[in-house]
Amino acid sequence: MNTYLKVARYHLVNRVQYTLLPLGWLAFAFAVCVVIFTIVDPSTKNGHVGALASIFFIFLALGVQSVVQLLPFGFALGLSRRTYYLGTVLLVTGLSVTYGLLITIMQEIERATGGWGGHLSFFRVPYILNGAWYLTWLTAFMGLLFFFLLGMWCGLIYRRWNLIGVFGFAATVITVALAGALSITWTHTWSGFDHFFRALSATGLTGMIAALALVLLTGGAGTMRRVTV
Amino acid sequence: MRNETTVLDDGTPLFLQIGAQLADDIADGTLAEGDRVPSSNEFAAFYRINPATAAKGINVLIDDGLLEKRRGIGMFVASGARERLLAERRQRFAQQYIEPMLAEAKRLDMDVELLVSLLHDTSKRNGDGDR
Amino acid sequence: MTPTISVTQLGRTYKDHAALADVTLDIAPNAITGLLGRNGAGKSTLMRIIAAQEFASSGTVRVLGEDPMENDRILRRITFVREDQIFPDFKVRHVIRAASWFHPNWSEELAQTLLADFELPPNRPMKKLSRGMRSAVGIVIGLAARAEVTLLDEPYAGLDAVARQIFYDRLLADYVEHPRTVLLSTHLIDEVADLLEHVVMIDHGRILIDAPADTVRGQAATIGGPADAVERFVAGRPILHRRTMASVSSVVVGGGLLDQDYRQARDLHLTVQPLSLQELIVHTSETTTEARKSA
Repeated sequence: MNTYLKVARYHLVNRVQYTLLPLGWLAFAFAVCVVIFTIVDPSTKNGHVGALASIFFIFLALGVQSVVQLLPFGFALGLSRRTYYLGTVLLVTGLSVTYGLLITIMQEIERATGGWGGHLSFFRVPYILNGAWYLTWLTAFMGLLFFFLLGMWCGLIYRRWNLIGVFGFAATVITVALAGALSITWTHTWSGFDHFFRALSATGLTGMIAALALVLLTGGAGTMRRVTV
Repeated sequence: MRNETTVLDDGTPLFLQIGAQLADDIADGTLAEGDRVPSSNEFAAFYRINPATAAKGINVLIDDGLLEKRRGIGMFVASGARERLLAERRQRFAQQYIEPMLAEAKRLDMDVELLVSLLHDTSKRNGDGDR
Repeated sequence: MTPTISVTQLGRTYKDHAALADVTLDIAPNAITGLLGRNGAGKSTLMRIIAAQEFASSGTVRVLGEDPMENDRILRRITFVREDQIFPDFKVRHVIRAASWFHPNWSEELAQTLLADFELPPNRPMKKLSRGMRSAVGIVIGLAARAEVTLLDEPYAGLDAVARQIFYDRLLADYVEHPRTVLLSTHLIDEVADLLEHVVMIDHGRILIDAPADTVRGQAATIGGPADAVERFVAGRPILHRRTMASVSSVVVGGGLLDQDYRQARDLHLTVQPLSLQELIVHTSETTTEARKSA
């Protein structure tokens, strides 16, 4: 069996973490929403809940765990950093495809049942997860991948530079964003910025997330190269 | 055979001690001519030492002609080994015990005859002693 | 004979100190080599660099002829058991199962035997194991892997004396059946002295001893007795240490003793106590520290 597959298998040894936990939480959150919606009068047309966001944050946590908890023994198994990184990325790609598909299917069912008979919009998120099934799948996949890679990079930064490093990273990101905002203000291009985003379709946004995910992928790989346990 | 209570002296190299242990067994008849000697791996496991060390010890005895290797079967005590060993050890006995004994006797002002009669007396006493 | 591990002028410096300095070392194939030294001497650092888990500041490492760093082909043939291994949130049997996938020479039979020997509960989460049991899991993996290059860095942390003896016995038994290159670092020298074929001693990041075990053993002895008789005996020999109390003295001499030396000592009514491997290592370390202080 190919080594990268073995790495993916290694992650999945403790099935609970990557399968039962996210699914369980999703099921729980969903059940809670359904119950609330049967209690509360669903006269409000807009039944959107932000609960789906939790799955993305779960993937963020899984990304962190893949480094903090699983990497040290990965070294003991004789895995090079490159192999471990790529094997983990392979795993999360598979997971993101699977969970994305799940979200897509549930979304279709939700649409078909009119919001589960109560106008609940659990799996439909306005603007980004509300379109054709293949777009939903793509966006969900990209989003999950993005958050996992972010978690992974944070985990790697933590391994190399501890908590100070993580705070430094967060501070850097915020500073860059701030600098971007300032430069837009000074060049009086806010209207252009605003216009660009209004015109951006869901697909476009997905493309931007993909680009950011690529940044995370390369950044993580760079940090991985000198990580020790 | 060395048992758990025997302590390996830390002075002489381990492999020599293994060799000496084997030689002792040949000398006192525990290992008769033609008997199979344990392999170095068996030695290593039994004495809990490195197999290379055990092998070295066995090789010393092979070089001295006390053991012979039969290909595919193992290590065996060579014929005439016991005699050769006893002869060599008697010589060493003279060096180790008799020479210092004579030196000590001289210090105590004993001549050889007195020494010999002392030997006889002591031997008789021990021979008649309880077991 | 190409050495299995070849380290050349290896150095590892951290911000405030040098963990390893100018380490040059060859580890012979299919032998048990002991890496001895005090806590903090640099044993773990050296082994981590050989296992490509740590980066060298200078110098080179070659394992099985290649640089092990990021080298999947070579890393597959190495197993490294370290004393502070972090395990994932798995159960014991998960850890063993995962390990079995990554080692080409893995023996499931041996793994199961060892699990039973150490009385490790297969279904208990690693987190719930005591330190000693976690070490035992590491040992099970290290031995069942039957890797060509087996690196054991004080793998017995927390193991009681009985379990340690089980470890030595199983290591020896399997090593005899399936020879491999073993590098075992330890500060419990007396316990492993007989297992070692070769001895490397490291102190403050430098190699002090690198010799066959037989050469090192019995290299020095303590001569004790009446002071003038002792002096007569030790005249002309390298003196490593001297202690006197009234008319009695105790002197450690080096250079090894022959049969006639033992006889001479007996004639002079002196006691001869050869230094064990552990005493020798301690002594070498002490003298080096003194030399460094006075330098």
